[in-house]
Amino acid sequence: MTEAGLRVDHVTKRFGSADTEVVAVRDVSLQVKPGEVVLIMGPSGSGKTTLLLMLGALLKPTEGTIALGDLELSAMSEGKLPDIRLRHFGFIFQDFNLLSALSVQDNVAFAAELTGVSRGVARSKAAALLTELGLDHRLRFPPEKLSGGEKQRVAIARALVNDPALILADEPTANLDSSHGRETMRLLREIAQKRGRSVVIVSHDTRIKEIADRVLWLEDGEFTNAVEMATDPVCGMAVERDVAIAGDRDGQTYYFCARGCRDEFLAGVAGPP
Amino acid sequence: MTGVAGAVPFRSAASALRLGMRNLFQDRLRFALSVAGVGLSLMLVLFMLGIRAGALRSAVVYLDNAPGTVEVLPPGGRSTAAGSAQFLGPETVAAVAGTPGVEAVTPVLLTMGFSDLHGTKAVIKLVGYDAALGGGPWKLASGRVPAADGEVVLDRVLANRHGLGMGDAFEIGGIQLTIVGLSNETSSWTGSYAFVRKGMVEALLLAPGAASFVLVTPEPGTSRDELMARLRAIDGTNVLLKSDVMANDQEVVAGIFDQVILLMVGAAFVVGALVVGMVIYTATNERRAEYGILKAIGARNAVLYRVVACQALVAAGVGSVVGVGFSYAMGWVVMNARPQFLVVIEPPAIGATLAAGVVMALAGGLFPARAAARLEPAEVFRR
Repeated sequence: MTEAGLRVDHVTKRFGSADTEVVAVRDVSLQVKPGEVVLIMGPSGSGKTTLLLMLGALLKPTEGTIALGDLELSAMSEGKLPDIRLRHFGFIFQDFNLLSALSVQDNVAFAAELTGVSRGVARSKAAALLTELGLDHRLRFPPEKLSGGEKQRVAIARALVNDPALILADEPTANLDSSHGRETMRLLREIAQKRGRSVVIVSHDTRIKEIADRVLWLEDGEFTNAVEMATDPVCGMAVERDVAIAGDRDGQTYYFCARGCRDEFLAGVAGPP
Repeated sequence: MTGVAGAVPFRSAASALRLGMRNLFQDRLRFALSVAGVGLSLMLVLFMLGIRAGALRSAVVYLDNAPGTVEVLPPGGRSTAAGSAQFLGPETVAAVAGTPGVEAVTPVLLTMGFSDLHGTKAVIKLVGYDAALGGGPWKLASGRVPAADGEVVLDRVLANRHGLGMGDAFEIGGIQLTIVGLSNETSSWTGSYAFVRKGMVEALLLAPGAASFVLVTPEPGTSRDELMARLRAIDGTNVLLKSDVMANDQEVVAGIFDQVILLMVGAAFVVGALVVGMVIYTATNERRAEYGILKAIGARNAVLYRVVACQALVAAGVGSVVGVGFSYAMGWVVMNARPQFLVVIEPPAIGATLAAGVVMALAGGLFPARAAARLEPAEVFRR
């Protein structure tokens, strides 16, 4: 696994030339640390998908550099990128995009087999991950027999099977009902916190703010607003640092959804997280 | 960065092949249709080759079963397939028989004729032979060989087709004959054999003592080349190995059949390749998103080529085997319904057909595989 997270420096992407030129992403810079969840939001056509494609080494920037740890993706030849994507990136899609002919276990194992591990090892890794995600009873099922939430958990397992440094999720909750959407969000949060992965999510779903460390607003290819998120240590609610009620305890600043939570926390009724 | 281990290509190839197989068998109806399509087109290929092989074999069936290894023909004669207007005179036949190194001679007088049977003209290859010298029917189904003028051994298939049996009358060239025997393996596309005493054909052709050709059996220990040189010294002869004459006979028949048959074989091959191509292309197109995902997560084009090629090869491979089975069944049906049509499915033709199946799969699978490999992985993000 590549440590030190994702670094994007002054990236611009242009399509076409001269009169037909379109600037999809303009001079964007970003850093995502291991264990951090970054949510990128913005209206349709704002350049979110183009940015995600560049972050995932699926599209080369016209200008600027993108690096994952010590790997400078924007300088690599096209021929090397598939292997980089396979070993260092995990992708999660809105439509789950599982291979319909393979069982749940084989869907996950297939991604591992592409790296050259034996089928036995790949299947064991897949089974362990799926069990961790609560799908041990579905290993042999075809994807079509799963609920939306289960499919997304399989997709998450596939994204994790090669131990990637960065997880890129494209509208991961868009096709899920609220409870499955919430479960997916919790899993993405866990992936960042417990496994130390960087997670970048592109979404319209404002609920995802709850699990994000930062929310970036992309408009006309540029970041126009960045919001640092925090979790209320009393009720667990996600709050925007800029507008939340702050309070210091033991030399550290905490952010709260309401005065009641702050007062309770500062009075020592509730402990730090 | 993690390096690519040496085992990667092999292992990812195995997983790609496994995925290809699963994709193929997921839609069983489509798989069955593709196998049937390939099977039917290869059946046509193999059946046409079988008909060709049958025609070639029946073209030489007489010489193949007649005695001798050297054939003496009239000047310019190269083939016995359609008879000849030229004959060897009795003095030439006698000179051949008297040539040193000749153990036995089989003079044969062969002519083509027509017999009016139930309102249709049947082509008859009338063989006049001397029972003492050989050249008559080699496999009697029933009865006996002609013992007198006016008696004939008729091809069993022709006799059955026209309800003729032992003791029935049979007319050719205005001569009434009585059927005394029925022979097997003597029917062909170009006519049915009938065997009579040589004198009868001599009378019919007004050529006493003549022969269309003389088959020569060399004495043991005689050099064949030296004997042929001696025979060539006889005026008014053309001397060839019997095997060369058979090859010439087959060449004549091939000249008639090959263009049509090869055209049909080519058409069947193209149809088969198109079936494989369309089936695999449709299947590939339906899985565009899945293949796009594979590329997005890091599968190389080689993996996609293998997935698609595996499907094409398995569909065409199973279809080829089914096609071989179909062609045997088709041959059996045709030879029972029309026994004059000999269908010979030979091992080399089966091998060639199976190889054609592989080529068909590669040709049919190439375009879909290229389409899969050209997929932009970014497509899966752009809905």
